[in-house]
Amino acid sequence: MRVLLIEDATELGQAVREQIADDGHAVDWVQRLDHAELSVRSTAYDLILLDLMLPDGRGIDFLRKRRRGGDTTPVIILTARDQLSDRIAGLNAGADDYLVKPFDLSELSARVAAVARRYSGNPNPRIQLGELSIDLSDRTIRRAGETIALTAREWALFEAFLQRPGALFSKAQLEVRLYAFGAEIESNAIEVHISHLRKKLGFQVVQTIRGMGYRLGSA
Amino acid sequence: MKAAPSLQKRLVYGLTLGIALFWLAATVVSGLVVQHRLNQAFDNAMRETAQRILPLAVLDVLNRDEPGTPQRVAPLNTRPADFAYLLRDRQGNILLQSSGADPAIFGAWSLSGFATTTTHRLYGASALRETLFLQIAEPLARRRQAVLDATIALLLPLLLLIPASVFGIWLFVRFSLRSVRSYRRAIEVRGAGNLSAIHMEQLPAEIRPIADAVNRLIDRLRHALETERRFAANSAHELRTPLATALAQVQRLRHDAPDGPLQDRAIRIEASLGELSRLSEKLMQLAKAEGGGVLAEVPQDLVVLLSHVVQDLQRTARVAVELALPPRGPVRSLIDPDAFAILARNLIENALKHGAPGCAIEVGLSDTARLTVVNAGAVVAPAELARLTRHFVRGGSRTEGFGLGLAIASTIARGVGAELTLVSPATGRIDGFEASVQFIPDLPRRSDGHSA
Repeated sequence: MRVLLIEDATELGQAVREQIADDGHAVDWVQRLDHAELSVRSTAYDLILLDLMLPDGRGIDFLRKRRRGGDTTPVIILTARDQLSDRIAGLNAGADDYLVKPFDLSELSARVAAVARRYSGNPNPRIQLGELSIDLSDRTIRRAGETIALTAREWALFEAFLQRPGALFSKAQLEVRLYAFGAEIESNAIEVHISHLRKKLGFQVVQTIRGMGYRLGSA
Repeated sequence: MKAAPSLQKRLVYGLTLGIALFWLAATVVSGLVVQHRLNQAFDNAMRETAQRILPLAVLDVLNRDEPGTPQRVAPLNTRPADFAYLLRDRQGNILLQSSGADPAIFGAWSLSGFATTTTHRLYGASALRETLFLQIAEPLARRRQAVLDATIALLLPLLLLIPASVFGIWLFVRFSLRSVRSYRRAIEVRGAGNLSAIHMEQLPAEIRPIADAVNRLIDRLRHALETERRFAANSAHELRTPLATALAQVQRLRHDAPDGPLQDRAIRIEASLGELSRLSEKLMQLAKAEGGGVLAEVPQDLVVLLSHVVQDLQRTARVAVELALPPRGPVRSLIDPDAFAILARNLIENALKHGAPGCAIEVGLSDTARLTVVNAGAVVAPAELARLTRHFVRGGSRTEGFGLGLAIASTIARGVGAELTLVSPATGRIDGFEASVQFIPDLPRRSDGHSA
């Protein structure tokens, strides 16, 4: 997934970015709402992690504005405001989930995964794809009882296919999902990762539609 | 408690007594004036009578065949005469007397002018160069009766005036105090948490300063509560962000560190930070609970609030948290939503912490606004139950918890006029622990605008 993190606390933002990136998502991190506005205008995000108290305004106003504009991007609020009234106000403004600081990074990962699943239309974290038993919540893949390990980037790619089975992804779309701003993208990176996925999960797991892109196949 | 004095009653009694005393004083003065005027009038009448009788009596005596023979005038009717008179010669011999005239009531025969005996008023006059003397006597009782009649006539209206005055003053005072009663009602019907100014433009000038002082007091109270709330919220925010940063960095360190002493140390720091976070959260909650502001200005639906709290806790709870809500409609009470959430969360966290492993926690809200949290587990002794709501007191048989959670819940409950009740074994069971709070339900308002 491509995730926009809006958090002004530098050290916290850094740790959260590393955690989400380790989970295999591409993270763009901004510390101000005006930068966040620019980011959402230029990029289609799969998820926004939003702090409520920012130097140039309130996160909840940003969220309301997005929702009024018809934006349905999932939003998880990360805030130090723990009162139930704040939580209800956040959810009423259109947030999908609410995480109070200080939080466990593993809890954040679980919430991010849960929101992503909800938006993919399959809230069940367990998926059976041919011989493969996939658990999205703990990011494990088993075949005949044996665990298959994927790298973070391989997992991020594979999850993109699992979230929208049957959908066709262009190479550019997959690149956008993989890398954050500024990260270098090798010209053949997608081909390399797809090749690794096929080796680990079976050749048919990702189909190549010549000249158009890739889509989920069968294991 | 001694009943407060009634201003209305005081005014009614005081003014009526004042009016009655003034009336009595006026009656006494009037009586004295009337008595004086009556005496003058009676005296004039006696003088005129003497002046009319004297020539007739002298003529009568001179025309007699035997002037020295006394004669009595025959009565004209049977009614007792108002006056009696005597005509005497220079030697004091009675020449003529009115019918029924008793010589004993007359004084010295040579009297000239007015005199008073114990029973009569006398008037004397002479004729023919003081050879004949006329005396007229009038009973004093007649004059006294006249004064008495006049005084009674003056006092009689007082019998009507007193009840009329009581009723009239009562009615007028009641009418004048209607704005004060409206003011009292405005205070009575407002919610316990309503700290807005009371607007009373119709209050009399004497009461207005009190209402202004009350409004200033309410304003100061509201300001103090808001400051305290802001401080608690800001402190929480300022403290949470660095804690979150430290925790996140330590978790990243643990993630990146190789297996071994460094990772173990990171795990221990993480645990300490977690403990610090929980303690700071509890202290913030306690500050909110004890700082007031746990009442809401408008009734809150406890069903919605409790659902949010339980839903949130269900995510991380190790055992099931079963929620039983009333089948019909909202359950409202005047409690601050955040205070209710803190209370409910502490009771459920306590149950999760101390409940028997694997046994579900039962959370219930009745339609009479009774919140109940039940967990399975060993029975807690009554003596220990009584200690549990004190600050930093932990159950003796338990390894953790019971430090602040129940104290916070108890403080919030007291703040809204409710009470936290702890029972073990739980109601209808042979084991377990039950914590319950009976909130004051806020019934729907009637159509006339008064709170039921």
